Amino acid sequence: MAEELAFARKASGLVRGLSMWDAFGVGFMNQGLTPSIVVMTSLGVGVYTGGNMIIAVVLSVILAGIGMPIVWGVLGGSMPRSGGEYIYNTRILHPIIGIAESFGNAFVWIMWIYVLAPWVADPGFTMLASFTGWQSLADWATQPYATFILASIANVVAFCFVVFGIKIFARVQKVIMTIGIGGCAILCVVLSVKAGGFQEAWNSMAAQHGSLDYTSFIAAVEKYAGEAMPTTWNWFDSLGVMVAASWAFAYAYCMAFIAGEVKRPDKTIILANLFAVVVPGIFCLWTAIALYQVDFNFLSAAFYADNLENYAWTIEGYKLPFSSNYVGLGFIMAPYKLLGIIYALSYMAFALWWVALSYLAFPRIIFAWGMDRMGPKWFTDINPRFASPVKNHILCLILGEIGIALYVFWTNSPLQGLAVTGLEVVTVFGVTAIAALVFPYRKRARGVWESSPYRNWRLFGIPVVTLGAIVDLIYLGILFVFFFVMPDLRDFTTTGVVFFACIWLAGIVWYFIWKQRSKTVGVDVSMTYGELPPE
Amino acid sequence: MIKLFFVTDIHGSNVCYRKFLNALPIYGADVAILLGDLTGKVLVPLVEKGGDQWECTLMGQHREIGSQEELAAIKKTIENAGYYWVHQTRDEFDATRSDPEKVDALFKGLVFQRVQEWLDLADERLAGKPFQMYMAPGNDDWFVIDEMIDDAKLVHPCDGRVVDIDGHEMITSSYANPTPWQTPRELSEEDLEVKLRELCAMVKNHATAIYNFHVPPYGYSLDLCPKLDENLTMSAEEKIHAGSIGAKRVIEENQPLLGLHGHIHESRGAQKAGRTLLINPGSEYSEGILKGVIIMLDKKKIKDYVFTSG
Repeated sequence: MAEELAFARKASGLVRGLSMWDAFGVGFMNQGLTPSIVVMTSLGVGVYTGGNMIIAVVLSVILAGIGMPIVWGVLGGSMPRSGGEYIYNTRILHPIIGIAESFGNAFVWIMWIYVLAPWVADPGFTMLASFTGWQSLADWATQPYATFILASIANVVAFCFVVFGIKIFARVQKVIMTIGIGGCAILCVVLSVKAGGFQEAWNSMAAQHGSLDYTSFIAAVEKYAGEAMPTTWNWFDSLGVMVAASWAFAYAYCMAFIAGEVKRPDKTIILANLFAVVVPGIFCLWTAIALYQVDFNFLSAAFYADNLENYAWTIEGYKLPFSSNYVGLGFIMAPYKLLGIIYALSYMAFALWWVALSYLAFPRIIFAWGMDRMGPKWFTDINPRFASPVKNHILCLILGEIGIALYVFWTNSPLQGLAVTGLEVVTVFGVTAIAALVFPYRKRARGVWESSPYRNWRLFGIPVVTLGAIVDLIYLGILFVFFFVMPDLRDFTTTGVVFFACIWLAGIVWYFIWKQRSKTVGVDVSMTYGELPPE
Repeated sequence: MIKLFFVTDIHGSNVCYRKFLNALPIYGADVAILLGDLTGKVLVPLVEKGGDQWECTLMGQHREIGSQEELAAIKKTIENAGYYWVHQTRDEFDATRSDPEKVDALFKGLVFQRVQEWLDLADERLAGKPFQMYMAPGNDDWFVIDEMIDDAKLVHPCDGRVVDIDGHEMITSSYANPTPWQTPRELSEEDLEVKLRELCAMVKNHATAIYNFHVPPYGYSLDLCPKLDENLTMSAEEKIHAGSIGAKRVIEENQPLLGLHGHIHESRGAQKAGRTLLINPGSEYSEGILKGVIIMLDKKKIKDYVFTSG
């Protein structure tokens, strides 16, 4: 250990308490893991049936592992404040772009409650009931009113985890993380050890429930799909799988919301972001390698079936008590109730925590607006007892409940989850990557760049943040093409974009309303966005 | 109406101080208040290794310096973070390290030098300008600082007295209740309350007064900070109230128009205590970010306020 060549005197006023592991925890938990692997398989391979998961994961880890940590790490380390990307985009691009993008992102976080709280119920709770043999309970949970009740419970529980302060949040996160990672790791081990004998295991369970055997299942899915399931992979579909796999790699940016609270933000955010990409990468790769012991066309058929409107039960003759997602396949390989409970709890834990993270992000986004006088003063109210913005949390709870009702009684499509990701690609990720791209060259942000700890990070004379943004934009470009150009998701996400454009417009209107309102009382809100000259 | 710009706890950061002075015309402030803590906490010896080479520890990292350009850059980084630097040979460093009195004397010399440089810079920048600037120390600041501010030409002292801000009486207290660090201006809760009451007794009209207390009142959202363990290590998971009960009592009893506070860097925000608006603009001096608040003050009410970050 190097000798300490510094003197400190007795003085108060220490700041910043969150360690790299705390930041990693927030980023990693927003990557989801178990449900993200379900998304990669059922929504990824389920749509792009010729996709190679190993290639999709490796490409995602390389592109997201370089681009995301550099973009979010450099911006977060240069402007270490807890307002998320709103801070970066208002300061680097323009306040109007920043507020419109942030307005969109606030809605995205509400939409995550709208999608993910119902997922705690179905498929989370239904898997739990099915694996324990309580089929009537599983069937009940799939009813819209039951899904609404269970999702609402998940929403309120997630609200409680966050609203009572960071102490409770941090402690519960450790428990949730342990349940989540533990279940996922056990599932990976089972897949690795048992997948070799999968065909026999499937046939045995199918016979037990009078369901389709291995070969008949593939044939029935092919009949439903009107085409043969691919027996090998292709590049196009593999890139398509990256869309769904992005759930496991693109979401560590959540730690930007606590950038103002971490120790040594210049190093912490970038490293924590990198680890939060690599760790899910290891699990996804492990899962993919283990699963490929099963025939390629069977996996394509299983995931295709699980992505149908009524899951695998849409396929005539399918009578297993649970759907054919990767968790279900793992249960077939080792059909022990305890293991099933562990897997289902892992899924539910991550899905529940995603909802909790919406309560971390949304209130902080609107808190940052309030601080910049881009919203009512009560947006900045901190409850002195719980040390959290309780009013903002309650607003999030109400909006989340409205969203859950809309999802359950109106749309109820698992693809809604991918639609939200599509919206994030064109707004949060895309706009922020552009902000990072031009950060060193923007006159309005020159003061920030000059004082940035990364200003000397260069490769071939080009700032590393610009290079990282280019890699990030390549990654986002691949996702963009599949979301908005390819027919499989295009119609779905285009509808979302129309809705989102309205949100952006509302954000711009919101900006001008508050700017005008502040002007009437003598406040020029532009003074809150500019950097002061340091000399 | 006047526009008041309030900043606190810049802890020796040169870049924050310069931003503060530059902010006055940019924000169009009429009155600027810089409340303590004014002085930094860390002294970085640049230990000579011979030739154009030095070594030091900066923000926990061992740094090797190999050129005059690097040396100039690191000095600027040290100053902007609110730290102080000194050239030392290895023998001088070892001698200083083994003698706490020498460390203390070295610190005081550098701290007072920087405060004087700041006051001189204010004289230069404020000359002929319409801004009024008030400055007061905080609990971390030695008492010599008061004399330096008293002697300044264009910077007005305000600690421990009543000053008039466009018809508003403003009282200022640099003291804090006990902290784990035993800093220069700490008083027991009882003694602090007595001192604050003496100060409040000087005010004629509390309804329009400004209480400029470095320490925030206890139990509000402005005094939340991470809990410390016995090794003074911060807990990431638990926040506690660290404000003053005496400050809480006098504010709740007298109900001034405005309470301006600092001390707890993490708790940037505003909150009402009855009719009193309490504000803590927070501090991120170590990142070179100047946190502040602009308050539009009418004769009898606060018209509005906006937090700034520059």
